[in-house]
Formats: sequence, C-alpha cells, structure tokens
Amino acid sequence: MSFFSRTLAILRKDLLAEWRTKERLSPMVFFVLLTLLVFNFSFELGGAALHEIGPGVLWSAFVFASLLGLNRSFVDERENGCLDGLLLAPGDRSAVYMGKMLGNLLFLLAVELISLPFFTLFFNLSPGPFLLPLLGLFLLGSASLASVGTLFAAMSSNMRLRELLLPLLLLPMVMPALISCVEATALVLKGDELARIAPYLQILTVFVVVFTTLSLLLFEHVIEE
Amino acid sequence: MSARLSNLFAALVFLSMIAALGAVFLYVPTERTMGLVQRIFYFHVPAAISAFLAFFIVFVASIQYLRTQEMKWDRLALSAAELGVLFGLIVLITGPIWARPIWGVYWRWEPRLTSMLILFSMYVAYLMVRSYGTSSARTPRLASVLGILAFVNVPLVYYSVNLWAAEQQLHPQKIALEPPMKYTLYICYAAFLLFFLFLLQRRLELEKTADALTDLQQQLSDD
Repeated sequence: MSFFSRTLAILRKDLLAEWRTKERLSPMVFFVLLTLLVFNFSFELGGAALHEIGPGVLWSAFVFASLLGLNRSFVDERENGCLDGLLLAPGDRSAVYMGKMLGNLLFLLAVELISLPFFTLFFNLSPGPFLLPLLGLFLLGSASLASVGTLFAAMSSNMRLRELLLPLLLLPMVMPALISCVEATALVLKGDELARIAPYLQILTVFVVVFTTLSLLLFEHVIEE
Repeated sequence: MSARLSNLFAALVFLSMIAALGAVFLYVPTERTMGLVQRIFYFHVPAAISAFLAFFIVFVASIQYLRTQEMKWDRLALSAAELGVLFGLIVLITGPIWARPIWGVYWRWEPRLTSMLILFSMYVAYLMVRSYGTSSARTPRLASVLGILAFVNVPLVYYSVNLWAAEQQLHPQKIALEPPMKYTLYICYAAFLLFFLFLLQRRLELEKTADALTDLQQQLSDD
C-alpha cells in the first residue's frame, strides 16, 4: 500500500469510529459553548469591547477544545491495544501521523463550523462578508493546531501525566499561530483589506508546512516503544 | 575533565566575574539619561546571549542524540536546557528591574519581552516532560524531538510577536555605545560565557556520575 492509501485508511477508520460513537465531537462543541459562556461572564461582554476581545475569546475556546480532542486521539488507541496493531503494519509509520493529523484537523474544523453560528449569535455579529476569509483562517488555524498537536498527543500518550502535559507542551508551541489567528480574525471582522492580513496568513502557512514536515520526520522517534 | 583542570577553570571564572563586576561598578561611566540603573544592561544582555546559546546547544545535541543514540548528547541537551531556563530567568528578572524606572512599568507586552517569555515557557515545558513525563528509557527520545521543535519555533515566535506588537517596540534595535561601555560589555560577555561553560561542564559531570551510578545499581540488582 502506498503512503497515501495508508493515510486514507487511518483517516477513514478515525472518522468511522467518531461517526459511530460521537465521543469527541459533541463534548468539544459543548466545551466551546461553555467557554464562550465563561468568557461572557468574566469580561461582561457587550458594547464596544466586543470587537476587541471577540477573536481572542473565539480562538481561546478553539485551542482549549482542541486539547480535549487531541488527548483522545492516541489514548483511545492505547487503551484497546490498537496502536500496536497500527505500528506492526508494514511500511512507513509517518502515514499513521498523517492520517491522525488529518482526522484531528477535520474534527477541529467541524467543531469550529458548528460553533461559529453561536459565536455570531452571542456576539451580535452579522455573518456574510467575512464568512469566506474566516473559513480560510479556520482551516489554517486548525491545521496549525493539528500539526504539532497530533505529534504532542502521540508523545504525551506515552507519558505518565498525559492530560496534564499536553497543554503545557502545546500552548507555548502554538503561540505564533494563535497570535496570527487572533490578529487576522480581528482584521477580518473589522473588514480590513487583505493586504494587512497577508503577513499573518504567511506565518500560519509556514507554521503548518514546517511543523507537519518535522512531525512526519520525527514521528517514528515519538511512537517507538 | 580532570579535577585539577576543573578547579583551574573555576578560578578563571571567578576572576572574570570579579573583572566584570569591577568594570560594571567602578570603570564604566554612568549613562547620562538613564542613570545608575542602566548598569543592569551589562548583566541583562550577556544573560540573554547565554540563554540563546543554551537553546542552540539543546537543538544540536537533540539532533545528534536522534542520529547516534549516544547518551552523552542527551546529557548535553538536558544540561543546556536547564541553563537556558536559568539564564532566561535572569533576563526576565533583570528586565523588569530596569524597565520600572525607565518605562514606568515592570512589564509591557512588548515584542522582545513577549518572545522571551514564550521561549522560556517552551523550555520549562521541556524540563517538565523530562522530569515527570516518562519512564527513563523513553525520555531522551521524546525530549530530543521537543528540543528540535522548540528551536525551530524561535524565528516564528519572533516574527509573529514583532508583527503583533510592532508599535509597542521599546527595545532599541541598534545601540551605539561609547568605547568604555563597549569594553565593559565585552568583558561581561566573556565572563558570562565562561560562567555558562563552567556550569555546563559541572552539570554534565554530575549527570555522567548519576548515569554511572544507575548503571552500577542495575548491575548489582542483576547479580
């Protein structure tokens, strides 16, 4: 089997398992809503400050929700001894990373798309002109989180204090991506022209490309028993 | 390194530190606008350089460990990471002491401060993984991967933070120094570099002894 078809096989397996159990998607979406609620009370949203902190609130909720999903992505495999089977499969192991990474990306995108209407509702935004650029940002932002996140999830699933260590590893690492997402989202919501958003898109693209490549190269070392 | 050589090294570090203190407090003139507090500059900047050197050593040692699987590279990465966090902490402590009288606040979300804080937290996470994360056999491998990723992230952190807070920039991008100030800075660079290398060498020695002890215990329990 080629790298591509093995990646797809793993992706298909993850999507199917999620489709049947919905163990990850529903808790993640609910978590995003709860986070929006918590932020609403901590900041007394409404009025002028909304546009200032809205993007930050949104992305914080996404990052925290991504931690929930990422934690599950390798722990489930370990609990059922499935990971050993995956590793025994012949061929390059980086396909396991690629499949898992794409799976995490899709879950995160789904969570973001489902919670976007609630965000616009709670924050009294009128969707429309900024919808398309926002979707592009969601894609790049989720890919950034999924790229390092999947590698760290594989890493921390090997560790004693896994739920504790994953955020400690992931949060400082994704800071460049997070800054870019928040800033670019703020610019998009303000209706700024694309020229000012472009540098942030560049950072996000570089982030995704660099860390996906490095993860593909290093995955072998992380997963080896 | 033999004990004698190591003691000689310690003496050299001691003398260079005395020279640095002498230069900072006795030789160099007080800066005209900032006054006495500016002298913290001679510790702040060399500490920052040492921290970056440490992070670079972690990066190289991590690559080398993954290539060769030799424990000496892992020991080097661990020792350098600890020192990087230590010197990073010196930078983050001396910075606010200097900032308070000059900028009027201890902390500003200014590009260099923010970047340093992010880098610092990445390496603290690295050390946490090392100490609580895993069984000893897996630690070096996971830590190496982390050491590589963290260093690759450095330019991205800098670029994004600079873009984010460009108008907040308070650190001078270029500084022109009077000759006495320049010499003092060079002396401090040398003193901090020697101090860094000395700590690194001692830390490596300690780690090597600890590994040897573990091996001995292993052998004894096997018999």
